Amino acid sequence: MTRSLTAAVARALGDIVGRDHVITDPDRLVVYESDGLTAYRVAPRAVVLPGSTEELAAVVRLLHGEGIAVIPRGAGTGLSGGALPTLDGVVVGTARMNRILEIDPVNRLARVQPGVINARLTEATRPHGLYYAPDPSSQSTCTLGGNVAENSGGPHCLKYGVTTRYVTGLKVVLAGGEIMELGGAGRTADGSLDLVGLFVGSEGCFGIAAEIEVRLLPLTEGVRTLLGIFETMEAAGHAVTAIISSGLVPAAVEIVDNATIRAVEASVYAGGYPVDAGAALVIEFDGTEAGLDSEADAAEACCHAAGAREVRRATEASQRAKLWNGRKKAFGTMGRIAPDLLVQDATVPRTRLPEVLASITEIGERYRLRVANVFHAGDGNLHPNILFDRNDPDELHRVEQASLEIMKLCVAVGGTITGEHGVGVDKRGYMKLVHGPDELAAMAEVKRVFDPTGLFNPGKVLPDVEAAHR
Amino acid sequence: MSVAASVVHPTSTEEVAVTMRAATADGVGVAVVASGRRFHGARSAERPFLVMCTDRLTGTEIYEPADLTLTAKAGTRLTTLAVELGAQKQWLPYDPPHVEERTLGGLVSTGESGPLWMGYGELRNHVLGLTVVCGDGRVLKLGGRVVKNVAGFDLLKAVVGARGRLGVITSVCVRAFPRPAVDRVLVLRGDSVAALVAVARAVGTAPVMPVSSVLVAPARAPSAGAALLVRLHGAEPTVDADQKTLERHCGVSFERAADAVGLLASARDHVADAEVELTLSVLPSRLGDSLVAVRDVLGDVPFAADTYKGFARVAAGESDSEATSRLRTRIESLGGALTARATDRARDVAGLGSRMAPSAAALTQRLESVFDPKGVLWPCRP
Amino acid sequence: MSAVSVPPGGVTSRLAQELEVQRERLLPCVHCGFCLPACPTYNRLGDENDSPRGRLHLMKAVVEGRLDPASDAFHTHIDRCLGCRACEPVCPSGVEYGTLLELARHTAAEHRPQGRLTRMLLFVMASRALRSLLFAGGRVLRASGLAALGARALPSAGVLRSARFGLAMLAATAAWRMPGVRSSRGVAAPVSDDAKRGTGRRVAVLTGCVQEGLYGRVNQSTMRTLEANGFEVVEVKGQDCCGALHAHGGDLDRARALAKTNVEVFLASGVDLVVVNAAGCGAAMKEYGTLLESDGDDHARARDLASRVRDVTEVLAEVGPRRGAAVECSVAYDHPCHLLHAQRISRPPLQVLDAIPGVEVRVIANAEECCGGAGIYGITHPDLGGRIGADKVAAVRAVGADAVATPNPGCMMQIGAGLVMDGAPEGVVHPVELLDESYRRAGYYGEPSTQRSPG
Ligand SMILES: Cc1cc2nc3c(=O)[nH]c(=O)nc-3n(C[C@H](O)[C@H](O)[C@H](O)COP(=O)(O)OP(=O)(O)OC[C@H]3O[C@@H](n4cnc5c(N)ncnc54)[C@H](O)[C@@H]3O)c2cc1C
Ligand code: SF4
Ligand code: SF4
Repeated sequence: MTRSLTAAVARALGDIVGRDHVITDPDRLVVYESDGLTAYRVAPRAVVLPGSTEELAAVVRLLHGEGIAVIPRGAGTGLSGGALPTLDGVVVGTARMNRILEIDPVNRLARVQPGVINARLTEATRPHGLYYAPDPSSQSTCTLGGNVAENSGGPHCLKYGVTTRYVTGLKVVLAGGEIMELGGAGRTADGSLDLVGLFVGSEGCFGIAAEIEVRLLPLTEGVRTLLGIFETMEAAGHAVTAIISSGLVPAAVEIVDNATIRAVEASVYAGGYPVDAGAALVIEFDGTEAGLDSEADAAEACCHAAGAREVRRATEASQRAKLWNGRKKAFGTMGRIAPDLLVQDATVPRTRLPEVLASITEIGERYRLRVANVFHAGDGNLHPNILFDRNDPDELHRVEQASLEIMKLCVAVGGTITGEHGVGVDKRGYMKLVHGPDELAAMAEVKRVFDPTGLFNPGKVLPDVEAAHR
Repeated sequence: MSVAASVVHPTSTEEVAVTMRAATADGVGVAVVASGRRFHGARSAERPFLVMCTDRLTGTEIYEPADLTLTAKAGTRLTTLAVELGAQKQWLPYDPPHVEERTLGGLVSTGESGPLWMGYGELRNHVLGLTVVCGDGRVLKLGGRVVKNVAGFDLLKAVVGARGRLGVITSVCVRAFPRPAVDRVLVLRGDSVAALVAVARAVGTAPVMPVSSVLVAPARAPSAGAALLVRLHGAEPTVDADQKTLERHCGVSFERAADAVGLLASARDHVADAEVELTLSVLPSRLGDSLVAVRDVLGDVPFAADTYKGFARVAAGESDSEATSRLRTRIESLGGALTARATDRARDVAGLGSRMAPSAAALTQRLESVFDPKGVLWPCRP
Repeated sequence: MSAVSVPPGGVTSRLAQELEVQRERLLPCVHCGFCLPACPTYNRLGDENDSPRGRLHLMKAVVEGRLDPASDAFHTHIDRCLGCRACEPVCPSGVEYGTLLELARHTAAEHRPQGRLTRMLLFVMASRALRSLLFAGGRVLRASGLAALGARALPSAGVLRSARFGLAMLAATAAWRMPGVRSSRGVAAPVSDDAKRGTGRRVAVLTGCVQEGLYGRVNQSTMRTLEANGFEVVEVKGQDCCGALHAHGGDLDRARALAKTNVEVFLASGVDLVVVNAAGCGAAMKEYGTLLESDGDDHARARDLASRVRDVTEVLAEVGPRRGAAVECSVAYDHPCHLLHAQRISRPPLQVLDAIPGVEVRVIANAEECCGGAGIYGITHPDLGGRIGADKVAAVRAVGADAVATPNPGCMMQIGAGLVMDGAPEGVVHPVELLDESYRRAGYYGEPSTQRSPG
C-alpha cells in the first residue's frame, strides 16, 4: 500500500500551507484515488492544497528536494486519468487557489489562479459584457488550470477555438519550485518561441500553472438554437458535413444518439428530444442579430436535405438552456443506465463522420457492447461512450478490444486518438498509433527540458515509461 | 559579410533530410529561406553555411474543401493556394506584410497572422500539422490533419513562429475558412494619431468585433496624415448592423474605402521594407503612449499598428543602436517588448533582436538543442 | 485500460448492510464532480473529503469494505456535511444524496457515538415533555432580553462560544417589529367568515417542535392565512416532531418512530393536505416513503402521507394568495436549502411575498447557498458553521433591506443569530408572517383595519 510521508516532510508541508491543508491519513487519501475516469484507482502518499503561488512553489521545492513526484490536480474531472496519483507521489491540488486576480475590460484580459472554475470566470466577466469562450461540457466544475493542462475544448470551440487560443500568458512553477513567467499579452518579443503554446496541453507533465492570463470576448448579441431530429446517425452525420461545407459558421454542432437521448430524457435534464429518434443535432448560431435568421434557415435546409424528420428552433432562453442541458449533462445521466462507463474521445475528419459512425455501431454490435454517442460533431470530435459492468471480466475484456478497434479506425481515416480529453494514463497505449519513435522521443526530450528530473506527473502521456501505478 | 557557400533547392522532405544530415556531418550551417524577402539571418556569419531554398518544395498534397483543411508543401505560394481555395469559396485569413510573396512554410515559420487574427484567431491555432526536418536530419510529423487534437505534447506550437531555428518545415496542414460574403473596409482619416488611437480603443471595446483594426501613418505614402482601417466580414445585413453598432459606440462615422485592397496592402507593407524595422508589443491600452514614445525618440517615422493586439511595426530609418535602446527602455517601462530587425545591408545596427528574461532564454536554448542538437541552424537564430 | 475490481465482501457493519442495500443509490455516481462547486463545505475547505463526491466515495469505500465505518475519516467528513443537499439538483445522475447521507450518519453513529451535545439535543427533541420544558426556558430568556444580552456580551471564542451562539439563536427567534406596527403582540381575532374563500380543502398544519416552541406565531400566521385563502384547517392532536433532526443526525431509529406516529395521526384525521411551514420538516415528511421503505405496510401508508405534504408557500402560491393591505418594507430573500434543493421549490415563497402590496423583495447574492444553520450545525460545528453563516449575513446586509425573509425556522435562527451578534438592525421574518400582517391590516380577521403609518 501507500508509503506514508516521513513525519518530517509532512510537518514541513504543514508549515508551508497550514496543517489543515495537508492530508496524510490513508483513509482520507482514498477520496483522491481517481479523477473523472474511475477505471483507475491509486491513492497518493499525501495531498497538499497550497493557497498561493509562493506556497505552491515552496511545496514543489520541498517535494522535489526529497525526490518525491508531484501530481497536479484541479477539480478531478479529467477523463483520461491525468490526475491519477502514483503510489509514491503527492497530489498537489489547486482547490484553494481559486481567486480571480484581475479583470481588465479595456484590454479584454483576465488573470486568474488555476483553481478558478471555468464558468465562474464567465460569470465574473459578464457584467463587463465579456465572457471566456472555451466551454467544456464540464465548465460548471472544471478548473482553468485543468483546462490549460488538457487544452480543453467544448461545444462552442467549433467557432471559437480551444483553450490554447485564449491563453496569453502563464506563471508556472517548474522543477524544484522555480517560478517562471511565460508569454504575457502585450509583451511578446517577436520571434521568441511560443512557450505558452507549448505548455498548454502538457497535462501537468511540465510543471504547474500558478497564474493564467486569458483573453476574453465580447458577449454575442443574439443566438439561434436548432434541434434537428433524424432517423439515423448517418443521416445526421451527412447533415453535419453539409452544414460545415456550405460556408456557414455555426457556433456549435453537437450530436446525440438514441441511447443518449433515452438516458437524458429519463433524467431531470430532459430536453424534450423524441425518444424514438435515431439521432438529434443541436446546432447553434451566434453573433449579430441581423444575420442569424438567415443562417438558421440555411442550416435547417441542410438538415431537411439530409432527411431530417423535424427541425425545431429554440427561441426562448429557457428552451435553449433546456436543449443544452440535455446535451451538456448527457455524460452524467449515463450513470443511470449502466454500472460503468468508458468515455472515449477521438477526432476524425468531418467528412468521414457518417462512415465512422456506422463502423462504430458495427464494432459495438460485434463485441456485444452498448455504445452511446454524444459529441462535438462539427469538429469531428467523437465521444463513443461504452457502457459496461466492470465486475464482468469478459465484458471488460471486450470493452478493451472494442476501444482499440475504434481508435485504430479513427486513425486509419486520418484522425487521432484524443481530441480534447488528453492522453493521461488511459491513452498512453494508443500513442504509437499516431506517433512514430522520433516524435515520441522528441516529446520526451521536451518534457525533460521543462522537467529534467521527471518528477511532474510521471507515467502520463508518453508510452513505455514504467509507472508505479501499473 | 555573409559567407553562403551554396544554395540548395530540395524537392522533397527526404532531400531536405539528406542535406541536413550532410550539413551536420560537415559542420556547415543551414539557413532556410522561402521567398527570401524576410531573410534576416546570418548577420555576422563567420562560419560557412548553405542556404536552403524551399522554392521547389511546392504543391498541394490534400485539399478537402468539405473538411476545411488543406495540406501543402512548404514552398507553395500563398497566392497559388488562394486560387485553389478561392474556387471553393474558401481562403486563408492571414494578412502579414507582403503576404502575396510568401510561401505557406515561410508564413508558418514566422508565425505572423497579420491583423486579421482579431477575427479569425492566430495562425498558430490553425496549423493542424507540420512536417519538420530537424537540424540533425530527423523528420518529425507533428500534429495531424484534424481540427481538434491533443494526442501528446503540442510541439507544433514551438515550431510555428520559430523562424527556422528548430528545423526546416517541409509540409503544412492548415485550417481553411469560408470566404465571407462581404468584405468591408471602413476608414477614418485624421492628422492626430492620438485622436485615432482613441477611436481605435473604442473599436477594441465595442460589443461587436471587426476582423481587423489597423492604424497606419502616413496613411498612404506619400500623402501625409494617419488612418484607422477597420474591416468587417459577414453577410450583408450583419456587416451593416455591425457598422452601425461600431459607429454608435465609437461616436464617429467611417468612410467606406473605395480602393480597399490597395489601402490595406499599403498599410500592410509600407513599413516592412525598411532597413531597420522595429516591432513593439504593448497592451492595447498602452498603444497611444508607446506611439508617443516612438515619436519622441525617432520623430515622425512610418508605422502600422494592429490596435487590437497592441502591436506595431515601425520603420526606424536612420536610427542607431542608441536610439533603439532608448526606445526599448521606454517601451519596457510601459510593460511592453521591442524587437529590432535589420536587412542584411543594415546589419551593423546593434541592439538587434529582443530581450528575454534569463530563465526563459535558458529554456529556449534547451528547446533549440532538442530540435537542433548540433546547432546547424545557427544562421536562423536571432 | 486496467480496471481495478472491488473486493467483494468484507462488509461487516450494519451500514455496511444498510448502505449495501443502497448500492443502487450509490452506483449512479459517475464521479463527474459536477456537485463540487455547489457544496459550501468544499468551497471553503478545498478538501475533496468535504465534497459531495468525496463523501459518496467514502460511503462507497465503506460498502466495498475498504474503509472502516468507525474511522475518523468517515466520521468527521460525514458529520461535517451540512445536509443542505445543494449537491442534488446539480447532479446529472440524480444521485439521492440526502437519503444516502442519513444512512451514512446512521452507520457512523453506530460505530462511533456522536458528541454529547448532539446526543442530548436529539434526545430532548424526541420527547414532547422535555422539549416543551426547554423551549419554555428559552422563551423566558428571550423575553427577559437576557438572550440578546448574552449574545453580545459573551466571548466569541473559547468554550463559551457555543453558548453565545445558542443565545443569539434564541434572541433571533423574537418577532420582527414590522414598520407600522407598534407592538408585535396581541394580534388578531379569528378569521371573519366573509374573508374565507372556500376552496373547501381540509388541511392540517404540522406544528413541529422548534416551531411550536419558539415560533408559535408562525404557526398562527400559517393557520390564519390558510383560512383566509379558503382552506379548512383541522387541528390534529397527537402529532409529533417530524424527525428530520434525528434522521439528519443519524438517529434513524428515533426518526422512524416519530415518522410512524405522524403517519398514523395525520392519515387518521383524513385531511387532504398536511401543510408545513418549516422547509426542513417538509422535506423530511415528503421523504417518509423512503425513510420507511423497508417497513412493509407502513411503507405504503408513509408514501400516501408523503404525497399529501406541502410547504405553506406551495399551497398559497397555488391558489394565488389573495392580496391584503400594504406592508411597506423591504425584505432580503434567502432560499432555504430544504425548500430549494430538497423540495425543488424556488418560486412559491417569492410569489407569496409578491402578493403583499408594499413589500419590496431583494434576493440576496448566493441565495441558493446554505446559511450554515442546517439544523444543529451551527452549534455542533461553530467554526465552519460560523464562517458559512458570516458569509450569509454579509450577503443579507449587502442588500440593505429592513428584514430578511426566509421560510424555515432553522435558517431564521441561524441568520438571525448572525445578525444579533453583529448588532445589525435587520429583523427576521417568515413570509407568511408578512402575509398575515397584510391580511390583518386589510381587516380579513374581523378586526378593524389598524394601519398606522410608520414612525
Ligand atoms: C461530464 C464531463 C464532461 C466533460 N466535457 C469536456 C468537454 O466538453 N471538453 C473537454 O475538453 N473536456 C471535457 N471533460 C474533461 C475535463 O473536464 C477536462 O479535461 C478539464 O479540463 C479537466 O479539468 P480539471 O480541473 O478537472 O482537471 P483535473 O482532472 O484535476 O486534471 C486534469 C489534468 O490537468 C493537470 N492539472 C490540473 N491543474 C493543473 C495546473 N494548475 N497546472 C498544470 N497541470 C494541471 C492534472 O495533472 C491532470 O493531468 C469533461 C469531463 C466530464 C466529467
Ligand atoms: S454530480 Fe452526481 S454523479 Fe457527479 S460526482 Fe456528484 S454525485 Fe456523483
Ligand atoms: S449536502 Fe450540502 S454540505 Fe453536504 S455534501 Fe451536499 S452540498 Fe455539500
